[in-house]
Amino acid sequence: MTGTRSKSFVLWAIVWFDLILLSLPTIIIIGASFTTGDIVQFPPEGFSLKWYGKLWLLDDFKAAFFRTLYVSLICTAVSIPAGTLAAIGLARYRIHFQTSLQVYLLLPFTIPLVVSGLGMMIFFGDIRILGQLWPVGISLCIINLPFMIWAVSASVNGLDYQLENAAANCGAPPLQGFLTVTLPGVMPGVITGALLMFILAFNEFLVSLFLTDARTVTLPVSIYNSIRSVITPDLAAVSVVYIVIAFIAVLLLDKLVGLELFLKSK
Amino acid sequence: MENKHPNNPSLNRRDFLTTSAMLAGGIMLGPGLAWADQKKPKEIIVRAWGGSWGDALKAGVADGFTKATGIKVRLDFTEDNEIKPKIWAAIDQGRVPPIHVNWDTTTNATISALRGVTVDLSDLSNLKGLLPLAKPVGLKGYPLVNTYAYVYVCAYRPEAFPDGPPQSWNVMLDPKFKRRVALYDDGIGFNPISVIAGGGTFKDIPDNMEPGYEFYRKLKANKPLLGEDADFTTWFQKGEIDLACTISVNARAAKQSGIDVAWTVPKEGCKVDTDGLWIPRGLPANEEYWAKEFINFALTKEAQQKWCSMLGLPPVFPGIDPPADLVGDVSYPTKPEDFEKLIRVPSKVLVENQPKWFAKFNEIFQG
Amino acid sequence: MTSVKQSSHFPIKWRLLDAAERVAALVWPRQLHSYTGYLLLVPALLLVFVLVIGLIYIGGYSLHELDLANYRLKESFSLTNYYTAVTSTTYRTVVLRSLYGSFLVTVITIFLAFPYAYLMVRAREAMTRKFLLISLFLPFFIGQIVRAYGWLIILGKEGLLNNIVTFFGFSPLELIYNYPAVILGLIQYMLPFAVLLLAPAITAINRDMELASESLGAHWIQTFIHIVLPMAKPGLIGSSVVVFTLTLTDFAMPEILGGGTTDFIANSIYDGFFQLSNSGLGAALSMILVTLGTAFVVVIFSIAGTGTLGFSRRSK
Repeated sequence: MTGTRSKSFVLWAIVWFDLILLSLPTIIIIGASFTTGDIVQFPPEGFSLKWYGKLWLLDDFKAAFFRTLYVSLICTAVSIPAGTLAAIGLARYRIHFQTSLQVYLLLPFTIPLVVSGLGMMIFFGDIRILGQLWPVGISLCIINLPFMIWAVSASVNGLDYQLENAAANCGAPPLQGFLTVTLPGVMPGVITGALLMFILAFNEFLVSLFLTDARTVTLPVSIYNSIRSVITPDLAAVSVVYIVIAFIAVLLLDKLVGLELFLKSK
Repeated sequence: MENKHPNNPSLNRRDFLTTSAMLAGGIMLGPGLAWADQKKPKEIIVRAWGGSWGDALKAGVADGFTKATGIKVRLDFTEDNEIKPKIWAAIDQGRVPPIHVNWDTTTNATISALRGVTVDLSDLSNLKGLLPLAKPVGLKGYPLVNTYAYVYVCAYRPEAFPDGPPQSWNVMLDPKFKRRVALYDDGIGFNPISVIAGGGTFKDIPDNMEPGYEFYRKLKANKPLLGEDADFTTWFQKGEIDLACTISVNARAAKQSGIDVAWTVPKEGCKVDTDGLWIPRGLPANEEYWAKEFINFALTKEAQQKWCSMLGLPPVFPGIDPPADLVGDVSYPTKPEDFEKLIRVPSKVLVENQPKWFAKFNEIFQG
Repeated sequence: MTSVKQSSHFPIKWRLLDAAERVAALVWPRQLHSYTGYLLLVPALLLVFVLVIGLIYIGGYSLHELDLANYRLKESFSLTNYYTAVTSTTYRTVVLRSLYGSFLVTVITIFLAFPYAYLMVRAREAMTRKFLLISLFLPFFIGQIVRAYGWLIILGKEGLLNNIVTFFGFSPLELIYNYPAVILGLIQYMLPFAVLLLAPAITAINRDMELASESLGAHWIQTFIHIVLPMAKPGLIGSSVVVFTLTLTDFAMPEILGGGTTDFIANSIYDGFFQLSNSGLGAALSMILVTLGTAFVVVIFSIAGTGTLGFSRRSK
């Protein structure tokens, strides 16, 4: 049994290292946000909620927060149909040029965000939609689309082929089969993907930087801009707001579909 | 801080001056145009640097402008380098640019002027009587107006220099300061100085930069940190560096927030430069009018005094006394002999050569 | 229309479905059904096409040299920008640094992610599994800037780690603003991606195979190398592709944790466009980076398939 014991020891050692690596920055930021001092540090100087109070009083913060909410919702709303249909199309139908299509659909990852952002700024400017908020939502959908397709296709692959065949054999016309069998079957993947897209959009700063201006600036962009001028603990407080949102999203995901969905084989 | 004391007599006087200056400016600016003809926009957007820079612009210029005109001023903290392509793209595509006024380095502003995207400011009433520094060199008219000068000082932690301030920039090469020296991440503010520190002379700029590059190659062994304005304050704050070539404003801001920092001009000199304001083309006529009013306001004595004393920089409006802590300070040149210790490279030379210097700087430090 | 009358006693939902079905049949007749797959792909393809349009603009820029007299790109076509990008030692160093960094981050991340995914999948206790999942998702949902910022507080000169180090009487360490700090930041950022793409592949491995191998006397490390790893290949491919491409194109970590001297290609592109105002050079570097990233993906996909990243039908 020494083999099993050493196995469990080695694996858990690495996992504990991972856990520390994953959570350390988060914990530190939460701690630093409660400082009474003017310098971000850990351990914090004293304990207070003053930086949260300051944050709440900032109109700019609230406005940026709601704009971010809006673009994230647009991103999610667009990616749900686009990603779901694409995932089903790729997984359930005979498609030629599979590899080329996959490479094409991975362009959002292989094009650096700086370049995507600039390209969309010029394009959106040319077609006169720059300066509005909704194109920002679309752009965030585009650059993260592979995640949506990936989440749904995990679900499609988990779905039994036979179910759809059975529906067809029982005389269900194609659309009906799609709406009543395929779609509900991939629902967990859709929900997961949607939450993922929402959160990623809520965090994105680089592409948004190019597509927003002073009147449409979103939260991640204004965080990025203020990091570059001066770093005060209110920034740690903003970060904690993000951590809280992330936590809510994780709980929501767990309630709605169960996190274990991600462990499904394919 | 004065605003907190309602009994302070200077407040009323200043308000009076502000308002009258505004009225005078408004009347003189557009001959034949009454205020009512230029519909006031709800707000104007001014790109600014954040931190103590933005605070100074808000308190020194923006608040006064709003008070005088009722137009809100929104500060846009997009980085100066990032707003540039945004404005350029907007003008190229015939769209309304994203900001009304750009607070910019004179070099970057000159680049935009060369590209032809700036509005001529020659008709601003308050240009009269300003120091010659206000006029951009080598450009026709006023495609931008310089608002103050600033010095890239040698900022240091006195604790690390017990024998007094560093006498020469060459201390950067001392192995004692390995990883404890900081420069801007493109070498801006230091590129001409490096030539002199490396054994060259002012005449070598821009044709023979080799002594400077040689200096950088030696400096590389000392692994300097490279960053932007905010980084310097953070680094001093967190004790990461002992020595930096940075704009005096950052050093002064660090000092005012309780960090032990001092600054000096070493024997090789320091680079002096200017910042300015400009307006992008393509704004609706009334918005352009009020953007000009904003710049005109920024050139009044009151605005210049408050704005520049908060920054701790010598304004282009003549005869303004330096803030108490900077009287006789090396970072606050006022007299011709003060400027003699400093190195001023003409904008034209900077515009034509700076990209090459940046590239070489990157080559040396990224290589 | 008679059929509608006849079926009027059916629930409204059925009638709606039937109506939808007729509309669908009209718009998309049976002859086209072999193309349904492509039809479903159209929205996604169009969305990504926006990026292609952007690339066309950028590609156009890359073929014009900057005129320093008016800071516009010259009218005439030239390959000067590509020549500059390829011959400059700076960019060569930056490209090699990014490629090497991506390789390093991919290898280390997968090494760290594999045991995590494995234990998470194999955990007997539901609580353990949930704990591991939540610990994974929480940082996954927190942006790069916030995390990089946390590292600044931990690794700085007067940061948490150095406070501990100096407490024990050692002199403070140089932990930040260098290459290792960037790599560490990137590994932390990529870890959740890697675990999530590995997990499904590990789930697919039959536990009996491992037991069989071990009962035949193989050491667990041998079992891991000869049974588990090869069977987890789809997960390894999926996570490598995602981690490698996202690292190769990353901007924030080198920018915030690199101290200015450890630029990756995206930072050079940024400098080309913004600091040098040379959109031609920035564009040429962009095209080179996109080509490198795409080439990598093409090579991996054609050698090894798409793995768990596969949006495609299960290969059997």
